[in-house]
Amino acid sequence: MTSANGSIVRVLGVSKSFRRGSERVDVLNDLTLDVPEGEFLGLMGPSGSGKTTLLNLIAGLDTPDQGEVWVGDQLVSQMSEGQLARWRTRHVGFVFQFYHLLPVLSAYENVELPLLLLPLSAAQRKQQVMTALELVGLADRIRHRPGQLSGGQQQRVGIARAIVTDPTLVVADEPTGDLDARSAEEILDLLVELRKTLKKTILLVTHDPRAAVRAQRLLHLEKGKLVEQA
Amino acid sequence: MKFFLLIVKNVARNPLRSVLTALGSIVLVFVVTVVWSVLSFLNTVTTEKKENLKAIVTDRWVIPSRLPSDYERPLSEGASNPERRGDVKPLDYMTWQFYVGSLDPKKLARENFVIAVAMDASKVTTMMEGLDSLTGEQEEEAERLVAAMKQNRQGLVVGKNVLRNMNKRVGERVKVSGIGNFKELDFEFVILGVIPEPRYDNINVMNREFLDETLDAYPRTHNGRKHLMADRRLNLVWLKLADTAAFTQVAKQIDSAPQLRTPTVKCETAASSFGAFMEAFRDLIWGMRWLLAPGCLISLSLVMANAISINVRERRLELAVLKVLGYRPWQLLVLVLGESLLLGAGAGLFSGGLTYAVVNWVLGGIPLLGFFGICLVPADALWWGAAVGAATSLAGSLLPAWSARSVKVADVFAKVA
Repeated sequence: MTSANGSIVRVLGVSKSFRRGSERVDVLNDLTLDVPEGEFLGLMGPSGSGKTTLLNLIAGLDTPDQGEVWVGDQLVSQMSEGQLARWRTRHVGFVFQFYHLLPVLSAYENVELPLLLLPLSAAQRKQQVMTALELVGLADRIRHRPGQLSGGQQQRVGIARAIVTDPTLVVADEPTGDLDARSAEEILDLLVELRKTLKKTILLVTHDPRAAVRAQRLLHLEKGKLVEQA
Repeated sequence: MKFFLLIVKNVARNPLRSVLTALGSIVLVFVVTVVWSVLSFLNTVTTEKKENLKAIVTDRWVIPSRLPSDYERPLSEGASNPERRGDVKPLDYMTWQFYVGSLDPKKLARENFVIAVAMDASKVTTMMEGLDSLTGEQEEEAERLVAAMKQNRQGLVVGKNVLRNMNKRVGERVKVSGIGNFKELDFEFVILGVIPEPRYDNINVMNREFLDETLDAYPRTHNGRKHLMADRRLNLVWLKLADTAAFTQVAKQIDSAPQLRTPTVKCETAASSFGAFMEAFRDLIWGMRWLLAPGCLISLSLVMANAISINVRERRLELAVLKVLGYRPWQLLVLVLGESLLLGAGAGLFSGGLTYAVVNWVLGGIPLLGFFGICLVPADALWWGAAVGAATSLAGSLLPAWSARSVKVADVFAKVA
């Protein structure tokens, strides 16, 4: 699954710009990045520096204007919308800042959502959902709807949903940004645990210095360029 | 199955909006179903039968038709001449004589009107459309009423609505005073029972012998003066014919019969007679068919489009999340169309059933003019309702569903950030 140099993610000379009215805004500028398998990488930078854009490109939610994005042996930047959707189901787990759980579904059903796209029996789905919910410590909250859970618990459900398909890559966009300090610590502990026990590669975008220190490697994104921090 | 459950849960997430949208659909499907029921009924009665058809003979020029009673014999034989080869006789015939009276001659209110068709009791179950094809208990009841009419010439068999309006019960006697052309023709009837066929809910059937005897006896109490209706007491004659060829031949015979010249008569099929009657309402029917029903369908689509558009706009973020999780654009399209379809078809099915129950069971049918009697909502209304609801909701939700499938994930999350 990894490339010849052992990287799970390779971003090669990627540029991305957006239009704001008649003005062109360059967000990423000839950016190159390698992420080894099993690494917990932190991405920091000021607002508008392109952190989320980079994350979206790696997760196949957007396509670059220039350059290539490889995840494992897949050239993500060349895939069609349909191919990307199928690829994301199996290979990417996404953790959002505001959880984005479906309010009409229970915790169990929210976690089960990505599995409905895979050729699994009901029993297999149940086993995977329960394993994911046990990993995040919410096996006793399966029937609760998002509105009946605290912010920290909702984010745990979000993490369970991200890992339930056993993806290659977990991308987390400010996962502690909407949480109090204690819940944020719990979520960060959980992400570290996922890397250790399940050997997941984690890309974390954050503004939070406490989150950043949990990463094995921390990169700073500024004016579309990456700067490695000690 | 899980996907279907997600559709159901999405429909149920905003109960007030779903209920209001469903109510809008129910009302509009109700109107469409009633309009289609009336049009379907009129279409049925004005469609020519190929076999076992009925022809109606009336005065060619005068409405209401009034024919001399001596027309009965030649018309009963289709004006056929036994010595002429190729002449055809009807299979059966029936005469109709109308009688109009009031329960209270001093108060000519609608609820007091009694309209009766005087006919030969033995023809009721052989010639009357609808009564000639009854089965089971209804057939037994019709036969019982015919036997009772034959036994009691004062018997009156009433329509269900008439009995309710008169506020009388079966077995009671009613005194009716003739009004208009029937002035001074007063009767005392015994109510024998209710006609077991909804299309006759607004009329009554009396013995023609009773009417004829009263007309014949009139001069004895009026200084030898005949009653106004005496000479032209026959209103119309029904002929039962084997097929369209027999009808064509009989119509030709009647047209050329010298004994049917004063007044001249016309012979037409029941369907064509109804069609001619409906000509007066042509614009109204055109408006129902091409303005009212399509207008309702378009309104229904707009109601659905509005509700689903709001729904999609509110859930753009959720739809983007589903895309992130790997849901393909066509799956989001199906999700939104499914929600709309469920709401529309469900409301339509409910409305179709409601229309059927309310119109047929509670109101006792839709009263129509003239011969038509009562129009019932057909059982097909159940699938009409579901189909109308489904089709209009699909039409209304196409654009919102397309917008849902085209949600750009990066744009949606950029706005959230």
